[in-house]
This record gives sequence, C-alpha cells and structure tokens, in this order.
Amino acid sequence: MTEPTGTVEVSSESTPAAATGMPSWQHRARALLAPATGLLALLVIAAITTPHFYSASVIQLVLFQIGLIGVTALGQTFVLLVAGIDLSVGGVTGLTTVIIAVQTGGDAAALPGALLLALGAGILVGLVNAGLVLLRDVPPFVATFAVFVLIQGVVIAWTKGAPSGNVPGEMAWMGTGKLLGVPTPAWFFLALAVATWWVLSRSTAGRRIYATGGNRRAAQLSGIRTWMVIASCYVLCAVLAVLTGLVNAGYVGYVDAQLSRTLDLNSIAAAVVGGVGLAGGRGRIEQTVLGVLLLAVMLTWLIQLGAGAGAQMLVSGIVILGAVWLQSGPVRPPRALRAIFVKGQAS
Amino acid sequence: MNRTRLTTTGRLRAAVAVAGVATLLLAGCSTEKEDPSAGGSGECLNADEAQAEYEKAWSTASEQLDVDLEPVAEDVCEVDTSDWKADPKQGDKYRIAFAAQGPTNSWGLTSEEAFKAHAKEKDVDVLYASANGDATAQVDNIQQLTSQQPDALVVVPMGEGIAGQVRAAVKQGIPVVACSGVLPDDSGVVSTVTRQYDLLGAMYAEWLAKQLDGKGQVAMLSGLAGVPTAEYQAAAAKKVFKKYPDIKVVTQQYTEWSPSVAKTVAANLLSKYPKLAGIWSDSGYGDLGVVQAYTEAGKDVPPLTGDASNAFLKAVKGTDVRFALSSFPPEMSTTCLDTALKILDGESVLNKVYIDSPSFTDAKASEYVREECSDNLLIPTSLSDALLKKLKLC
Repeated sequence: MTEPTGTVEVSSESTPAAATGMPSWQHRARALLAPATGLLALLVIAAITTPHFYSASVIQLVLFQIGLIGVTALGQTFVLLVAGIDLSVGGVTGLTTVIIAVQTGGDAAALPGALLLALGAGILVGLVNAGLVLLRDVPPFVATFAVFVLIQGVVIAWTKGAPSGNVPGEMAWMGTGKLLGVPTPAWFFLALAVATWWVLSRSTAGRRIYATGGNRRAAQLSGIRTWMVIASCYVLCAVLAVLTGLVNAGYVGYVDAQLSRTLDLNSIAAAVVGGVGLAGGRGRIEQTVLGVLLLAVMLTWLIQLGAGAGAQMLVSGIVILGAVWLQSGPVRPPRALRAIFVKGQAS
Repeated sequence: MNRTRLTTTGRLRAAVAVAGVATLLLAGCSTEKEDPSAGGSGECLNADEAQAEYEKAWSTASEQLDVDLEPVAEDVCEVDTSDWKADPKQGDKYRIAFAAQGPTNSWGLTSEEAFKAHAKEKDVDVLYASANGDATAQVDNIQQLTSQQPDALVVVPMGEGIAGQVRAAVKQGIPVVACSGVLPDDSGVVSTVTRQYDLLGAMYAEWLAKQLDGKGQVAMLSGLAGVPTAEYQAAAAKKVFKKYPDIKVVTQQYTEWSPSVAKTVAANLLSKYPKLAGIWSDSGYGDLGVVQAYTEAGKDVPPLTGDASNAFLKAVKGTDVRFALSSFPPEMSTTCLDTALKILDGESVLNKVYIDSPSFTDAKASEYVREECSDNLLIPTSLSDALLKKLKLC
C-alpha cells in the first residue's frame, strides 16, 4: 500500500518502496492483497451457498453490475486521489436519464441535442463542485452533497416532479447490448479502466494528481497548477456519471425518476474497499477495479441468495467495514493492551 | 406506488426524528389522558352502516378481479363532530391547512393539484406545505401550519414520526384528517381517508393464487424496505399466501419503485428461480422492469400485479402478459378536503373512510390505457382534462 507522497513529481509507487527498501512490485502486490483475498473468499462463499452462481446468466448479471458501478467508481477514484469526494454522482446519473427522456421524448432525431445537454449539465456540475471546493474552501463532502440536493431540486422544479418520456430505442445497446456475450457496460468499464490506468501510472497528468493529493502545498511550490488538477478530477468524475446515466437510460428505456434521488454510494464504496485512501494521494486503479469486482459479486450474490433487505444491507456494511479495517494496516492490539502485555512479560 | 421515497439522509433524519418523538411520547403518555377524539374507546355510532360502507371497497375488488376476499377486521364507526363545528376563524372563508407530500413524483403532484382545484370549487383557502417526502420536514411543516391557526388540517403522513405533532395540533383545537396514509390510533386524528393497504396486498395475492391454481413458486417485489406503503401491503399478501400450502413464496425483494432496480432484480429472479410461477408486486412502475427482463431473456412473463400506471399499460399493450392492477388514487385528497369541511360543519363522518377504486385485469386493460397521456399518469384518473393538460400529464 502506498503512503502519501511528501515530494512532488514522483510516481506513487516509488516513494514508499524506496523508504522501506521493498521492491515496488512487492508493494503493489501487497496493496492488492486485501481486496483480492476478499474477492476470492466471496467467490468461494458464493459457489458454496448458491451453486448456480457460475452459470452464464448470473455471470452476465455480475458483469452488468461491474459496468454500472465501475464507471462511476473510476471517476470517484480521481476525486479521491486529490483528497476530495463526490457525493453528487447519483444525482448526475439521474439527471442524465431525465434530460435524455424529457428532451427526446423517445425521438431519436432529438438525441444529439439531448446528449450535448446532458454532457453540458455534467460538466457544469463538475465545475460547480470544483468551484465550491477551490474558490470557497467548502469541504468536498459538504459541497458535493449540497450540489446533489440542488440537482434534485432542479429536476423536481423542471419536471414538476413527474418527468415523463421514453428513451430513444437507439440508446438501448448501451444498456442491454452484448459483445462476445459480455454486456456493453462491462466493455465501457474495461476500456475506461485501461485508459485510467495509463493516465494514472504512465502520464505526467497522473503524477500531478498524486502529487496534488499527497501534498498540495508542495505540489503548488513545484509549479503544478493544483487547482486545475483538482477541477479536472471533479469534471471527469461528473462526465463519467453522465456516461453511467446514459447506460441506465439505455438499460430500462424509461425515465427513472427514482434514480436522481438516490445518493449512490457504491462508487465510493468500491474505491474505498479496493484500498483507495480517503485522504488523497493514495491508491491505484487496480485497487478500484478489485473493489468494483468485489462489490458487483457481492450485490449479485446477495440477491441470488434471496437475502432480505436487512440482510443485504448488513452484509454490505460488514464487507465494506471489514475491507476498510484491513486497509488500515496489520491488525495489532491497542497500545494500552500491548503495554500491559509487555509489563506482564517483564515481571 | 412511490409516495414516500426517502433518501438515505432522509431516512437517517427520520430515524432521529422518530427517536425524538418517541421520547416525547413516552414523557407525554405518563402524565396526560388522551383526547376523546382519538377514537377506539368510545361507543361505536352507526356501526352497521359504517361497517357496510367499509366492506364496499372489498366487495368491489372481489367482483372486479373475480376472487374471494375476506375483509380484514376493522372498527369503522361514525364520529360525532358537533364539538368541532365552527365558523371560519378568520374572514368569511375556511382556511384549510394541507401538509402534503410534495410534488416529488406524479402521485404527489396529482394529489395536491386535485386538492387545490377542489378547494377552489368549494371556495376555501388552502395553506400549503410540502414535506418533499420527508417525515422530519413534515414535523416542521405541521408546526408552521398550526401556528397560522387554520380551521382544519389535512395531512398526508410521511411516517408515524409525525404523530406527536399531529396530536399537538388537535390539542390546539384544530381537527386533523389523515389523508392517503395511516397514523397510530393515539394521534388524535378525527378521520382517516385512505385506500386500504390490506385490501391491495390481499387482492393481488388472491388473484395470483387463483391464476396459479393454488400452487407454485411466487416472488414478492415490494417498494422500499420499512416504508408503510410497501410493508403493510406485503404483510397482507403473505397472510393470504399462507392459506395456500402449495404456494411457496421463494423470496421478497425490494425494487425501490424504480424500473431499473426492478429489472436487475427480475433478471436475478430469472436465473435463480426458473420455475417461478407468479410475481406479486406492489408497483406497476417496477413491473415495467420485470416485463423487460423477461422479454429480453426470451421467457414468458409470469402473471404479475401492481398499481396501474399508464407506462405499464402502454408497455404491455398487444402482449399476452397476464396481470391484475388496482390503484391508490391521488385524487382521494378531494375526499380528504370534503371530510375536513364536514367536520367543520358538525356533520358526522366515519373515523376511517376507505376509498373504493377500480381494479382490473389484462382483459380490460384496453379500456383503461390512455395513449394520448404521459407515462406518469396514474390510472384511472378523475382529474379534469384541463387540469391534466396543465400538469402536462395529458
């Protein structure tokens, strides 16, 4: 697991590796250990408790979930890396479906305009989030939650609470299409994950993101325009939420008024379960991918198991807590207990 | 049927509010006797007539869906409201406070627009407050409305957590009508006007049992866990299914009244229970997702139930999907207003006014679908064409 970087313009993995004398690949592997173990354990439990879990139809359901959660989780990872958090993704996802349905009314000819409008709205939300965080120093948690509420208000005021209209059939492939038997959303996720991996680990932009998240002051002093880095991350996150909204619109074909009212925390959960730090500058895309896989498997497994709503929430909570707990380092007894133990040994 | 859609934060706040109100209730219960209008203990006036009125909604549903229904035991009585008889407190018009859900969906929108339109017809003023589907916000709303000294208060309850505030309003001499939902017996409401959840849940279950000849696997799809609209209906349905030993309820899942979520859940049901014979659902809007999931998988849609939305009726037009639908008409808010006005007039009212409204199956769907109207229209509607147009529902 990587630690916050104190220096700038260094890759995320080089600093801790140099500090501990451990090869960087070993560090990378260690960071993936917890989520990978969790995923493996879950896969085994799923196989035992729901024997048909590995049937083609169930795997497709998992892949669809991966696409849905994954795309927003990638965006969330960018924001988390610059020490932010984006609670407005659920709002943007819902807003997108409302824009598509209301603007097109099911007419494909109106689709380009609606898509541009949805994209514009997403970018605007990203800019507002970034503006609040950067210009007014509003804590990201508060800023993006306020924007989430604002989006709900806009949707209700605009549609009088009753958005109506169909999504053009031309968009169905985004949600229900399959390529080589794999649902389209999963392909979106795969392509974007590879692109994100490249940006974060191979490009200057990636290094600037880690530097900004790790130590913003130091990054600033070294000439990085950190405000631009942070703003880009918020905008990117919102744009990816728009894409998820389009996938959702294509999936069900109707405007789903409920979507814009859900504070979708799965994107944050996936990144954090994978081991992306909430304090910024720590975490890699492989971790988010593992977090996404784990969450998608878990959500599908719980429904397959026929678990009730209470059990589903309970298990989700335990898995997320467990993963975060494991992330915080080796399990050690509290200092007071250790002191007593040492004293006991000495006497 | 998505009236009280609570967000995560909303639920949290609601929980805090419920805890707070519960504490207040405990404190209050130990020191004071309840208001006589709370009902339950006094003698039941005109019991037979009231009971017959109550059973009417059950017999209508029974006829329309061609199933046997046994009304759930309820004490329905006439309430003597002579003590509430009053002239307008201000000016020469009554001022009726309406603590509404808010236009968070087409049900909420229709409910309050129907109320306002009816108030205009009756020449009464409306003091309006929207809770945006949140019980905590509603506690505040009721406080605000009460402080304006309305002649009566009509409240669409967002949760039982508002009972304390309702009781406080009654103590200040404001008669309260619970509208499109129920409150605990000790909340002091003079009358409750609603469609009965027990009836909806039971009639869907009986219809399904009949379709399945009393045997087979059934999945239950409810809206939102813990929300009365969802839970009361599901509980009534489970009671019915218990009567049929060969019907097995294999799972109960929640769709959040969202077609997207319902579609994902249904796709899971498909693979997990290939022999599923029927789907009991409380929402036509969620059923949209179910039908899509089955159709995309190339499987026959099992018989299903739900409330009637125009979107669902349009989606299944020309298919051989079998279904039974009923409604929780938002326009019942007009009956709520009428009840409040009767109380102010000293005219006796029923303590529980259970709304009768049409139920139908796929055989009659073509009579109900409104092609020219929005997907969001709840079927059937009694709103005027002008109002439907104004609300962009038609």
